[in-house]
Amino acid sequence: MESLVKDAGSGSRDTMGRIRRVFIESLHVNLREEDFSYETKLDEAAGMDSVAVLEFVAAIEKEFGITFEPEMLTIKVVRDLKELAAYVDQRTARRSHASASPSGHGPAEVDPA
Amino acid sequence: MPASNPNSTPPVTLPLVTLNDLLWLLYLYPLRLLASVLPRWSLYAIGKLSDPIVQFDARRSKARAAKWIAQACRTTPADARRIASRSLTNTVIRTLDGLLLLRRSSDKMLRCRDLDGIQHLESAIAHGKGVVLLAGHFCANRIALRYLATKGYAVLSVHNRRPRNQAQGRLGKLFLQPLSAQLQERANPDQVSIHDPDCSLRIMRRLRAGGLVALQIDGRRATVVGHPFLGVPWRLRPGIFEIVRLSDCAVVPILCLGRSSGFRIRFDPMLEIDGASSRETFISANLPRFFAVVEKQIIEYPEEWRLWNHL
Repeated sequence: MESLVKDAGSGSRDTMGRIRRVFIESLHVNLREEDFSYETKLDEAAGMDSVAVLEFVAAIEKEFGITFEPEMLTIKVVRDLKELAAYVDQRTARRSHASASPSGHGPAEVDPA
Repeated sequence: MPASNPNSTPPVTLPLVTLNDLLWLLYLYPLRLLASVLPRWSLYAIGKLSDPIVQFDARRSKARAAKWIAQACRTTPADARRIASRSLTNTVIRTLDGLLLLRRSSDKMLRCRDLDGIQHLESAIAHGKGVVLLAGHFCANRIALRYLATKGYAVLSVHNRRPRNQAQGRLGKLFLQPLSAQLQERANPDQVSIHDPDCSLRIMRRLRAGGLVALQIDGRRATVVGHPFLGVPWRLRPGIFEIVRLSDCAVVPILCLGRSSGFRIRFDPMLEIDGASSRETFISANLPRFFAVVEKQIIEYPEEWRLWNHL
């Protein structure tokens, strides 16, 4: 299946590790990071209801200082640790690039809000 | 053999068919087909003919509703009984309007008599973070939202596709309810079910794009948050509050009254939201205000609220 995240294979191990930690902390699930692999679908690791998914997204945004684009707010992206990490890396890189741009006209992160 | 648990609830055995199922069977097959060709007035006439059967079928729930109405609306028992009956009749009309919404030409059939407070909606949209239209379960909601979509205000609505129906038998549960849900979705494709795992994400997606989402706050479903509503203990999902808290969207009360042949829509001024970092404090700060708005609407127009008979 074609990835929703363009040109991104999978996220860095560091990002995936941080996401797993956020997942456990934000949802207060009784799991250890070692309990689920990078291939695990997050909603299968702990039964997440629809609101819990939203809370998880909010926690990721806070952790990484990014904002999800509206079209990326899908269960497909959020449940897949690799795809999610790739997207987070992409957004984080875009934000860093924008803040480093001397003209201030770099490809800044679009805050849809 | 496992020991039986004396505290567990015994499974409820549903009858195969109930009177309610037969009414739904008539509605979903012959009446639905007829509704594609019959003029609206004749459809309403059929509704009027079926009204005594509906009233009879719901006599017990109506008696319970009348007591509740008398207490909540501070009215006489006779008036409360009248309101309970009218609420049922309006629910029948709403169901028939649901068939009209399946027509290709349905948008032309929606007659909006009044659209009040549109400036409140416009200023909420200008806020730029999306708008939650706070609603109660009023009979005219569906037609009003369809009408608003034709005027350029597309509204994502949130539904329970598996509503509890105490008068339902096995036939209804297995066949009629899923078909009814499918038709409802055809009548208004811009909706999401609370049972979808990405329900909240879809809502957030719409809000972040600056769009509109209608949320009915008076759905009585879960056991997570309890608060009195219209004088009785009420249980609701806290999801609505979590969505408002995390999206920082504007909240505008909406009131929809009437039927497809003549209805009105009213927007009230944006609600002030008490921001709070945690879910619990946000709910306790805002829930009474949200409930008060909808309670006031219901007491003002009790005949148009359709949950009296669901107590």
